Amino acid sequence: MHAQLQILLEIQDLKTQRRELLETPGERDMEEQVFHVSIDDALAKLEEKIREMEDSLSAQVRGRYQRLAGRRGRVVVPVIRGTCYGCFVSVPTSLASDAERNQDLRSCENCGRFLYLID
Amino acid sequence: MELREFFSESVVELDLKGESKDEVIKEMIALLGLDEKSEGILYKMLKRRENLGSTGIGKGIAIPHCRSLVVNRLRVAFGRKASGVDFKSIDEQPVRHIFLIVAPPLEVSNQYLPVLGKIAQFAREPDVPERLNAMQSPREFLALLEEKNL
Repeated sequence: MHAQLQILLEIQDLKTQRRELLETPGERDMEEQVFHVSIDDALAKLEEKIREMEDSLSAQVRGRYQRLAGRRGRVVVPVIRGTCYGCFVSVPTSLASDAERNQDLRSCENCGRFLYLID
Repeated sequence: MELREFFSESVVELDLKGESKDEVIKEMIALLGLDEKSEGILYKMLKRRENLGSTGIGKGIAIPHCRSLVVNRLRVAFGRKASGVDFKSIDEQPVRHIFLIVAPPLEVSNQYLPVLGKIAQFAREPDVPERLNAMQSPREFLALLEEKNL
């Protein structure tokens, strides 16, 4: 897997975790009541880790990441059965069936988001 | 939607070998059959979730969980470590039964929270820990899920 893609995936997963705690009452309640998590502490830790990971991106990728994050929200999206799950447009067959899956940092030709190929 | 639908024998391991929390989490991830890089990313995410607070909910049970782009549908696994492992649980007791839950960030069917809730409910049934200790095969685990009808 491309090293920058790996960082982008980790950032996206951390942002998902943050979003769930901020915006999904069911998830917040579950974490507080079943797992005894302090939501404020958890959000602060996630924020710090996201910043740290963003800083570890290369300057070029970070620039694209920031533009996409501002414009599109989700920066990395999966390609499932040949479809970009950001804009739901088919990606070229050559990309979707690439034997060297995720070895290169690729973007959707339609929405520009970084792509992660998944079975 | 019932818990039994999400489990198969291949994601049940009644003899986890790991001796630490990290080792058993890795073993549980391996049950999902992901590629090596995806396993690595998932491990980091689960560790980060543990850093927010242990998923050991007491009575020897832990439910490590997270959402991650490395899966395209809800995935679950169950593992048993008969001798127990330190999970920094709420009750500070060793964990013997581990339920792993991983879901993609966006789910059309929105199963993650209900499944997480059902597993927590299952694990809290008074007879469940003892029955999990006694079972001899993955098939018995699936039968217990069916019996509980959650």
